Amino acid sequence: MVDEALEEKLASLVGAPVGRDGPSVAPDPVNLPMIRHWAAAFGDDNPVYTDPVAAAGSRFGQLVAPPLMLQTWTMPTPDLVGIAERGGSPVAVDGETALATLDRAGYVATLATNSEFEILRYLHLGEVVSATTVFESISEEKKTRLGRGRFITWVTTYTVESGEVVGRQTFRILKFDPSGTGE
Amino acid sequence: MTTVDAIAVGDQLPALQIDMTATLIAAGAIATRDFMPVHHDRDYANAQGAPDIFANILSDTGYCSRFLTDWAGPDARLRHLAIRLGVPVFPGDRLVYTGSVTSVEVSGGERLVEVEFRAATAAGDHVTGTARLDLPVTV
Repeated sequence: MVDEALEEKLASLVGAPVGRDGPSVAPDPVNLPMIRHWAAAFGDDNPVYTDPVAAAGSRFGQLVAPPLMLQTWTMPTPDLVGIAERGGSPVAVDGETALATLDRAGYVATLATNSEFEILRYLHLGEVVSATTVFESISEEKKTRLGRGRFITWVTTYTVESGEVVGRQTFRILKFDPSGTGE
Repeated sequence: MTTVDAIAVGDQLPALQIDMTATLIAAGAIATRDFMPVHHDRDYANAQGAPDIFANILSDTGYCSRFLTDWAGPDARLRHLAIRLGVPVFPGDRLVYTGSVTSVEVSGGERLVEVEFRAATAAGDHVTGTARLDLPVTV
């Protein structure tokens, strides 16, 4: 059975921005303290991230941010009080979200399935990153081993102040109905 | 670190073994600015049906990056990474990254190298993926 209204609503989301308030701008410019914290968390001792002398002698010529920190720069400063009650959302979300539409259609559970990064260039200290995310696709309903669900793909484009695109990320989740009625 | 000019198709990357702990999971989540409680609060994770806190995806890409450049060296530049996510990683799991070179191509003073890799626990593949790096061709 196809819910025409739902199909229409989902189709209208493709190409639309995921956030309601425009691009997410990094709260802080690319900076060495956050890079050092990140490198320590993963035991990454690549000197081009934290050693200015070694970095100056590398092909990069200066310190660079770990390329996969791209997403970290634009993560919002969290409002930690009430984060559990908000289902883990770091900040309160106003109004209707696309994922809420899917929740109401019974696809209440979420499983991340794929993440892909294209890095156009490495970032330098002081640069301010912005992220713009749009829905790339929302699949038709699939029967999965977890239950009926839809694959949601969004693409984030990362830019610096000049507008130069420095990277892109494609992220896919499965929103599914965990009630076992997928049979 | 490897000798760039010696990289060839079929080369195995040195394995990276991570004996995961609650500390590493929480540290990775916070260093990537991911404050979702499932990555630092076991009670919350239990209430969500998970047996314990589990590693966040930004930590996966962090470890992938380390695994690749530990091998390729500081002059390597990561151009592309694609991962598929499998079983979660919990405290107490041993996560082992392994990979091999699938393509080497010299173009415009750069050596483009493609790698396929996986990170597995005793429960199965946690991450499988591919990456593309470029390295300067040494003179």
